[in-house]
Amino acid sequence: MPKLTIDGKEIDVEAGTNLIEAARRLGIEVPHYCYHPGLSIAGQCRLCMVDIEKAPRPTIACNTQAVDGMVVHTQTDRVKETRRSMMEFHLINHPLDCPVCDQAGECWLQIYYMKHGLYEPRMTDEKVHKPKAVPLGPHVMLDAERCILCSRCVRFCDEITGTGELGIFNRADYSEIGLFPGHDLQNNYSGNVVDICPVGALTDRDFRFQVRVWYLDTTKSICPGCARGCNVDVHVNRKRPHHAGGRRVARLKPRFNAAVNAWWICDVGRYGFGDVDDETRMTRPQRRVEGQAVDTDWGEALGAVADALRRYSPEEIAILASPKQSNEDLFALKRLCEHRGIRQLAFRAPTPPAAAGDDFLLRADRHPNTRGAELLGLEGDVAGILSAAGAGRIKLLWVFEHDLLASGWPIAETTAALDRVETLVWSGANANATTARAHRVLPLAAWVERDGTFTNFLGRVQRFRAAVEPLGEALAGWDVVGRVMTALGAPAIGTRAEHWFRELSKSVAAFAGLTYQAIGDGGAMIAGAAPTTAPAPPGRRADAKVTA
Amino acid sequence: MTEAHGPAPASSRPPTEKRGLAEPATTFSSEQLAEVRRLQSLYPDRRGALLPVLHLAQETFGYVSLEVEEYVASLFDLSAAHVHEAVTFYTLFFQQPKGRHVIAVCHNLSCHLAGAPDILAHVKARLGIEPGETTEDGRVTFQAVECLCACEAAPMAQIDDRYELNLTREKVDRILEALR
Amino acid sequence: MAERVLMRNFDRASSHTLAVYREHGGYAGWDKARQMEPAALVEEVKQSNLRGLGGAGFPTGAKWSFIPKSHTGPVYLVVNADEGEPGTFKDRYLLEKDPHALIEGMLIAARAIRCALGFVYIRGEYVEPWRRFSAAVKEAYDAGLLGQGFDIVVHRGAGAYICGEETGLISSLEGKKGWPKVKPPFPAIKGAFAQPTIVNNVETLCCIPPIVTRGAAWFAGLGTKTQGGTRMYSVSGRVKRPAVYETSVSITLRQLIELAGGVSHSGRLKAVVPGGGSAPILTADEIDVVMDVDGLKSAGSMIGSAGVIVLDESASIPEALLVLARFYAHESCGQCTPCRESTGWIYKMVHRIVDGHGRKDDLDTIVDVARRGAGTTICAFYDGAVGPYISYIQKFRGEFEGLCRS
Repeated sequence: MPKLTIDGKEIDVEAGTNLIEAARRLGIEVPHYCYHPGLSIAGQCRLCMVDIEKAPRPTIACNTQAVDGMVVHTQTDRVKETRRSMMEFHLINHPLDCPVCDQAGECWLQIYYMKHGLYEPRMTDEKVHKPKAVPLGPHVMLDAERCILCSRCVRFCDEITGTGELGIFNRADYSEIGLFPGHDLQNNYSGNVVDICPVGALTDRDFRFQVRVWYLDTTKSICPGCARGCNVDVHVNRKRPHHAGGRRVARLKPRFNAAVNAWWICDVGRYGFGDVDDETRMTRPQRRVEGQAVDTDWGEALGAVADALRRYSPEEIAILASPKQSNEDLFALKRLCEHRGIRQLAFRAPTPPAAAGDDFLLRADRHPNTRGAELLGLEGDVAGILSAAGAGRIKLLWVFEHDLLASGWPIAETTAALDRVETLVWSGANANATTARAHRVLPLAAWVERDGTFTNFLGRVQRFRAAVEPLGEALAGWDVVGRVMTALGAPAIGTRAEHWFRELSKSVAAFAGLTYQAIGDGGAMIAGAAPTTAPAPPGRRADAKVTA
Repeated sequence: MTEAHGPAPASSRPPTEKRGLAEPATTFSSEQLAEVRRLQSLYPDRRGALLPVLHLAQETFGYVSLEVEEYVASLFDLSAAHVHEAVTFYTLFFQQPKGRHVIAVCHNLSCHLAGAPDILAHVKARLGIEPGETTEDGRVTFQAVECLCACEAAPMAQIDDRYELNLTREKVDRILEALR
Repeated sequence: MAERVLMRNFDRASSHTLAVYREHGGYAGWDKARQMEPAALVEEVKQSNLRGLGGAGFPTGAKWSFIPKSHTGPVYLVVNADEGEPGTFKDRYLLEKDPHALIEGMLIAARAIRCALGFVYIRGEYVEPWRRFSAAVKEAYDAGLLGQGFDIVVHRGAGAYICGEETGLISSLEGKKGWPKVKPPFPAIKGAFAQPTIVNNVETLCCIPPIVTRGAAWFAGLGTKTQGGTRMYSVSGRVKRPAVYETSVSITLRQLIELAGGVSHSGRLKAVVPGGGSAPILTADEIDVVMDVDGLKSAGSMIGSAGVIVLDESASIPEALLVLARFYAHESCGQCTPCRESTGWIYKMVHRIVDGHGRKDDLDTIVDVARRGAGTTICAFYDGAVGPYISYIQKFRGEFEGLCRS
């Protein structure tokens, strides 16, 4: 382990650590553009230069590996002057787009100029003009003038997705990032190039002109789009509700987790948060009166559901939980079933036919908590339940989230089965075709509106957190079930998701010893599961097509 | 207005919008494919043969169109974007049809001192086109280029494959006359 | 001044053919080298004080010795025939008139560095030299000189000055854009196709056969204390007899200009570019400098590729800078920020000045920007641009100010 000194502070690092990373561990920031820990070294931006004793000139830190006894200085006058020079070089042809550029507020030209530049601009000649507002595929917008040609996006498409769509064409100061003319940026990870672009050259089409980033709050969470559970930051717009079309969730960004998704997230997950704020959200308990949905209140609704649970015998009751629900939600259902002796409990409706995984992060299982449902013992026979319903043997069917009419089952049969159920209760966040047939609808809070945990397909338990208040009167699943249980006379478990998790970890062996604190921001494995690492990117596998 | 710098002028810049008229044939014959494989085998990584194959493509198809780039990419298992990078980077690859002849007049330092500006102006006047353009009849593409390393015989130009040295206006006239 | 070593065969008819080459001692060096150990060959070249003749002037023997001894995989020899430095034309002559000298030099070098495969990267515009050299390679194969443990692949470039930079050349050879590589690692450790690679200039390798046949001491003695041998000076611009001249590296610039017939046009010397376009300019007072690597370094310039461009009193220095500024702006590969952005900007400023819309401030800006970028880039291309940017303005400031309107 080489030991080196940076700005007078000593540190031991693993062999092969570059100076940007070594400095980062000491809390020292070495400004840089083209370096990214998930990509190869480019050494192009020249901003990360530091002074190393015995080197005659400042040296780039990204391409310099720590060597025992190395003495590095990042705050000398020479380094500061070099940084100022590099900022000027970067801004020579950069357009003054800040007022109309989405990157403003999180732009590394702005940030580093304020920290390391602050010179009198003297470029009075015509700047180089390049294409602006060029769509690159469905998700990304390119402004080639703003591009500082750090090549991160090119390296991403070569080394991570292995698709090689992007290149730097021409040379000199008319070099330009772009796609092969006529081709598209269509891999399932295109949104990541927006994250890694330090400036406003690559921006999100979905987020374009929606809301200024300084109005956004951020909350750590987990993407619910598939069984991998990529870590995310949810960016919400609370301060300017009249921007972004009134959407509360403005965008998702991936959050680094070496054990799950590294720095990346797929486009399906990244752009799949729209349903949180769309018009299909259920916000009030409803009941069907003469075929019409009528709003009611929780007191009345929960009372009716508890009543139905009391009235019917356990053999007449079935519950279809969803692998979209949290461990806490599912545990509450398990407890309810135990209390009431309900045996017909299941969760596996088939995934919509078209879903498939990809060769990197996206799993074919588009639910975040299938593993949780398995571990909690909710395995059952959905087909059997529906068949019993069709035969008239189910009087109360409580469905969570599923759209049984879009699950690949024969529609006519399934509709008939649902219609034979005397009391069909549907709970979920977004209404679907099944919701429309329910006698009772109980609105659930969306994943961004509550706390909880999911267990990913490899057994990693990860926390997701409430980023906004629930819409309307929506409640968390465990809360609804908990209140019903109270109405049935069962002991209270708690008023927060964490209370339910505590109870869960005491009762279910796989979760023994886990607490919200232990899970933290990075997650924790269930008992007996081996620690995980994010999968190798397609671009780096031995059989990857040569694109770089 | 700066000359001879900046994005390559229209006649050799790649079209970023729709392609134009029907393109000529853009695949190699089986003998040529054998030559491509032979060239690829000479290099420890077959990608090393990209420039030789692009030269072969240009000789065969007249210029390197986008279709040709995609075709060449398929011969190397490279993304088309990375072939496009090479074609737009090097000045000898034409991305649009060129004239039957190319006259590239050097305008670097020794040639400048020997009167290159005058030669350039003369060619411009005789052909009626600017550097970077091709005559209407498709006979000649005119270029102003950087040092061809024949400074001892300045001013000079490259006409197709050969160097024409010690140019005078009269010599230029004779050369242009002979280009059909 | 000295006997002709590099140009010894030039005046013979069909000098480029194997038969004529062999007739006059060709491949005798290779015959001798085959009896020598690789280490002994490296040592001989070290002792000769041969320094790279392509531009950097790095001691050739030392470069050869950088190949890691422990390496068991392939080693490549790459010949830089991408001659492109303004004012330089010597390699063109060698390729056309004495291609076998290069092949022989390659054979010996390959043995010294234990290399089985050599690439000759010839600039794309050199079509006739490429044909000549390729024909010579074929002759060598037919004669069994090649293909017996050493192969040569001839590779044409496609028009980019930056491919004359050794790692830019390597990138181009690998089938990519000619982007120079971030160093470390250096080519001798990890070069072409990720293997140890030695890149040598054409002329440098042509010195090898004479060094082997006549000895390091002889070669060293032809030159100065720190650089052995002769070299081919490409002399052009405002001289009466522009041509390539071979002399000892101990010649002074004044003597070289005289050899080329003296100053033409006005007949009065104003300035000289001593080492290709990237060399800082010398004034008429500075021409008693010895034209070897260290001599020019001490004079604040560089010998580079030994491309000597003479400017007389009637030549305009601002125009000369404009021509070179355009050259650098056009040839910048675009990879790293300081060079990519400022070569274009500086060209615009110089253009504005030459057009009469410049300010004296612009001159200070150009010099300051150039200084800030020097030494910060991936390769020395930008430092080559800085040579003219700073020296032309500093040494001929009055001429520039005369064009400025404020």
